[in-house]
Amino acid sequence: MPKIRWRKWNNILHRDIGYLVVALTVAYCISGIAVNHINDWNPNYRITKEFISIPPIHAESRDEIVAQARASLRLEKEPRNAFRPDPSTLQLFFEDKTVSIDLPTGNVLIERATPRRVLFEMNQLHLNRPKKLWTYIADLYALALLVVSVTGLFVLKGKNGITGRGAWLTAIGFVIPIVYWIYYISF
Amino acid sequence: MKKMSAVMLISMLLMSLAVAQEVPKEYGKPLTVKKPTKISEILANPQTHDGKRVLVEGPVVDVCPKRGCWIQIGSDKEFEMIQFKVEDGVIVFPMEAKGLKVRAEGIVSVTTLTREQLIEQARHQAEEQGKLDEFKPESIEGPKTVIRLNGEGAIITK
Repeated sequence: MPKIRWRKWNNILHRDIGYLVVALTVAYCISGIAVNHINDWNPNYRITKEFISIPPIHAESRDEIVAQARASLRLEKEPRNAFRPDPSTLQLFFEDKTVSIDLPTGNVLIERATPRRVLFEMNQLHLNRPKKLWTYIADLYALALLVVSVTGLFVLKGKNGITGRGAWLTAIGFVIPIVYWIYYISF
Repeated sequence: MKKMSAVMLISMLLMSLAVAQEVPKEYGKPLTVKKPTKISEILANPQTHDGKRVLVEGPVVDVCPKRGCWIQIGSDKEFEMIQFKVEDGVIVFPMEAKGLKVRAEGIVSVTTLTREQLIEQARHQAEEQGKLDEFKPESIEGPKTVIRLNGEGAIITK
């Protein structure tokens, strides 16, 4: 009976599937770190605020207020929408900015939200925002990653393999989440 | 190296196209309620709508900037709006939705929050909007009845 060269096939699988998952692993890692710190920053949008002043607006009707605001701000483009959250504020919505005007004082806040290039796309894919077909691609990626990690255990034999140093390092990899979880549920 | 750069560039381009915003765009479950209810009507009589499934229409006047987990929908009457809250990650509204029109379906929720709960909620919102420096807990009064829609599906149009 011919000897099955399982390690050779193990290493081929590890190498080739490894190549396939590099792009998504890098994208998901970067996005993972970015989204992990969502309390400290906005990983999807860069929000810029600009403060300017215009003369106070005392008009009565909404249409007049909007017209005066647009004239004062020299906004030629028609806003998508206008809204008054309270009697002293007018908001004008444009494709690329939101303009909030404090009518009695004429203080204006112009807010722009720009998607962070590439990171925005990475986050959307990482958080499976497209859903549909991407759900299955992400499942396949997870399976591929599983194959890469399991085959990785058996790439080497000897003292640096899974029967030697590899066993200790793999054990540490198991212990860290288990110990943390026990700590987490205990306190 | 040139080949590698070309592959990466094409990948990024495809990625951008894959998540590009198209309008009209559907979010979450398909809408089932045909007749819209006026937001002003819900806000004027919250108890009669509490727990009921409704469809509302209006402009998107604010979006959760970090998680996209809520939008504020402008009412048919001035100075009024209602929050349309969705489960984190299930529906994610983009900031580009600001100013667009939305048809949104959800369950009306009427709850009374204590002053402490209102302060905590306001602090969280200020944190999300990067306005923590403007947050003044002493200006918050309570208890207060909070009316919102627990959102299930929405369509955003121009």
